[in-house]
Amino acid sequence: MSAVALAPIATNRAFLPREKLDVLLDALRDDDRTIIGPIVRDGAVVYDEIRDTTDLPIGWRTDTAPGTYRLEQTGGTRAFDYGTALSTWKRYSHPPRVPLTTTDGDGLVASVDPEVPRVAFIGVRACELAALGIQQRVLGAGPAGDADHAARREAALVVAVECAVATSTCFCTSMGTGPEIDDGADIVLAELEEGFTVRAMTSAGERIVEGLSLATATQGHLESAAEQVATVRASIGYPVATGGLAERLRAVPDHPRWAEIAERCLACTNCTLVCPTCFCTSVAPTSDLDGTTGSTERVWDSCFTVGFGRVAGDANFRPYVADRYRQWLTHKFSSWWDQFGSSGCVGCGRCITWCPVGIDVREELLAIAPPDSPPAPIPWPLAPARGHAPAPVPVVEPARYVPVEVTAVGRETNDTVTLSLATDEPALLASRPGQFVMVARPAQAIPPISISRLRPDGLELTIRDVGPATAALTSRKPGDRLSLRGPLGRAWPIASAHGGDVVIVAGGIGVAPLRPVIDEVLRERHRFGAVRMYIGARTPRDRLFVEEMAALRGRTDVEIEEIVDRGGPDWLGRVGVVTQLFERASWNGSHTTAFVCGPDRMMQATARTLAARGVDPSRTLVTLERNMACGVGVCGHCQLGPYFVCRDGPVFSAAELGDTFTVDGR
Amino acid sequence: MLPVPPPAPADRQAVRHRPRIGVVKFASCDGCQLTLLDLEDDLLAIADRVDIVEFAEATSRRSSGPFDILFVEGSISTPEQVEEILRLRAVTTTLVTIGACATAGGIQALRNWADHDAVRSLVYPHPEYVESLATATPVADHVAVDAELRGCPISPDQLREFVTAVLAGRRANLPDEAVCAECKRRGIVCVAVTGGVTCLGPVTRSGCGALCPAFGRGCYGCFGPRESANGPGLATWLERDRTPTDVARAFALFDAWSPPFRRVIDAAGGPPGPIDGSTAKEPPDA
Repeated sequence: MSAVALAPIATNRAFLPREKLDVLLDALRDDDRTIIGPIVRDGAVVYDEIRDTTDLPIGWRTDTAPGTYRLEQTGGTRAFDYGTALSTWKRYSHPPRVPLTTTDGDGLVASVDPEVPRVAFIGVRACELAALGIQQRVLGAGPAGDADHAARREAALVVAVECAVATSTCFCTSMGTGPEIDDGADIVLAELEEGFTVRAMTSAGERIVEGLSLATATQGHLESAAEQVATVRASIGYPVATGGLAERLRAVPDHPRWAEIAERCLACTNCTLVCPTCFCTSVAPTSDLDGTTGSTERVWDSCFTVGFGRVAGDANFRPYVADRYRQWLTHKFSSWWDQFGSSGCVGCGRCITWCPVGIDVREELLAIAPPDSPPAPIPWPLAPARGHAPAPVPVVEPARYVPVEVTAVGRETNDTVTLSLATDEPALLASRPGQFVMVARPAQAIPPISISRLRPDGLELTIRDVGPATAALTSRKPGDRLSLRGPLGRAWPIASAHGGDVVIVAGGIGVAPLRPVIDEVLRERHRFGAVRMYIGARTPRDRLFVEEMAALRGRTDVEIEEIVDRGGPDWLGRVGVVTQLFERASWNGSHTTAFVCGPDRMMQATARTLAARGVDPSRTLVTLERNMACGVGVCGHCQLGPYFVCRDGPVFSAAELGDTFTVDGR
Repeated sequence: MLPVPPPAPADRQAVRHRPRIGVVKFASCDGCQLTLLDLEDDLLAIADRVDIVEFAEATSRRSSGPFDILFVEGSISTPEQVEEILRLRAVTTTLVTIGACATAGGIQALRNWADHDAVRSLVYPHPEYVESLATATPVADHVAVDAELRGCPISPDQLREFVTAVLAGRRANLPDEAVCAECKRRGIVCVAVTGGVTCLGPVTRSGCGALCPAFGRGCYGCFGPRESANGPGLATWLERDRTPTDVARAFALFDAWSPPFRRVIDAAGGPPGPIDGSTAKEPPDA
């Protein structure tokens, strides 16, 4: 063996002779677990149920390269020298399809409780342990966390095996995730020719190991184990310069390489679906022929699909493959740090091996964000997550649907109605201005809808008919029932405007989430200085809350001005864009808090105009629309730079958004 | 074309009142229509909720319209078909093309690269009796199409989902993604990366459930290109150890005439094995 530095040797290890590996499997099975581990199938190592040791890939080695994977039978006795499998453990911890909702006996949408098998994972690599840890932080973050994942992890016992070989696509050393195993498993094995050193790391692992009645590992065993993992470390080197990588990537959203990669990238989703930490999903509805009953399931999706960035009205935030590759790479290596306090990459190399055109993430990083200094290892485990505070925890876990009753339906315009909903659900009654709810009807997709009024007995939702799912809501009648999940998201910080002036700028349907702000400001009028409202609409016929706006115009303690994009014979008011209403106004914005909602372009223009009027960007508050599907930051759809719009927003200050708000394709 | 759009508001009203459904064909093999018949029990449940007024494979009842939903199989290959599809469009609310012929031109669109008269002589003993167009083209080249179901033949699951969604008044779940996504969800081992098999999965729309890779075969691309399909990107990679002709041959199948696949074929100078008429059959003796 080469002269490599040896890690300190723990002494509390047992030794499992090779012929007794089946005894370990029996013990796991006696613990009432289905054993999942590596097998050879169709020319690759994949994870599947293991019945006995002969199922393991004994003697198989792997040769990998970008876009290439070849298995070779060496005739040896070792079972875990296959490098990394094609499968990842997320197939079991965050499966490709999970049922989410069903239709209950009352014809309402109801949440489905997770049903999870009791399993043992055997053969988990150091990089994969890190991935399981990252996944736990991702899916356990936010106001609710993902109950399905939590139950699956709880039901899994993890038997890790330290790597004795590396493949050419491995780079765990750069990401600080391996090859040594220090934490995260219940039992850790190191495979030697004659058997395995065994470390129990948790009480559950200890219980299994004690039952095996093993001899203590000899000093020779321990030295061999330490030496072989040190050799793996040396053979990988440090191919990726991770120091400062997050910042370097953040600085180059316009790098020409993004467009160049898009000529090679097929946007086929393979890199994301083989990634052990990629977690993004979509919600797929099914129904009966009558549309009276239906169900939804959560399905693995990818930021590389066109549907992933699409929102109502078929607008798309990431139309180009260059946008999608940039989203993936910058999320993985940069904004993941902002969101979860670590890199999203564990260096397993699957995205390189399984890319059908061999795009090598190590090379792309080097080209896009070259290092200032030579690559060096980074510490692991990392510091706890930084980033900004999550939304306040609601009274009820917002992952469940509750029934509400439609008490009134008010038609606002040709395509927009306001539903009044009654509920005695404490969480919904505790909703704050700016929050939103997921609104479910059987057989339909489940749209996020912002709350347009808070009432003592419920809330109001103002909904525009832009497709079947919203049409199923705008066609409701009093007495109908819907299922709501929420409230979700961060509210408008109205109290932060106390003592100063208020400006409210709305465009189109954007007036809906601002209506609760208007309500609260008027209710506590004495707490605010001047109150100015600027409301834009496409045409006079598209104006919302017309009577309420007329009533506001009659008040002396607020200013309100309206404008439409296109006038008409009956329109005597102003025609143009909403910023024209205040770009030449006389007021000074230095003591102003602005509340803004409308299309992205309108909000960007408004933020600029407000800044020119002296409004501090930290006091220009906007609320964003993105493709929210889960509402609690676990599906990945609504990511914008470092943020999950559903969980960290939808309300943001212009200062928080910075240039993430203005770079196209984010 | 965009993936299946939501039914227009008018349709949502229409579907509440026993929609009139038609199934028609142009130049095609009828296989996609058979997929409709293969729905069996589901077809009976669907038939309870709709009026199938035109479906020559299934019923002698005929109708020239109007149709709430018209399923159109086959490519437009003759002058009469050009007129007929225009007429059908005028009497149809939601026009749905089904199968590779209707959505991309089909295998017969390979003739679009060849000399028309030579091809006719190759196929027919008396080409003077045959009136056909120089090209076989997708329906969308002639009239507006509201939705499309891909494949050769179409997938019964996608057909079931489409019909169910229309009847239930929701947007059909027909993702525009690569076949690779289905392979990975199903846990199918990648035939391209492990075996070097030519597989069009990365540039082909999913919907088949990754049928061919599940049996160790490369994807033939019968569902046609997905959005942003990077045909040249895949071809460049494949040409590392294949000739451009071999790569073009893989693309020159059911959806050859779709623009992303056509680019690859054109770059190789047209579909391999040019039809030049030299092998035309002699007319049989009378």
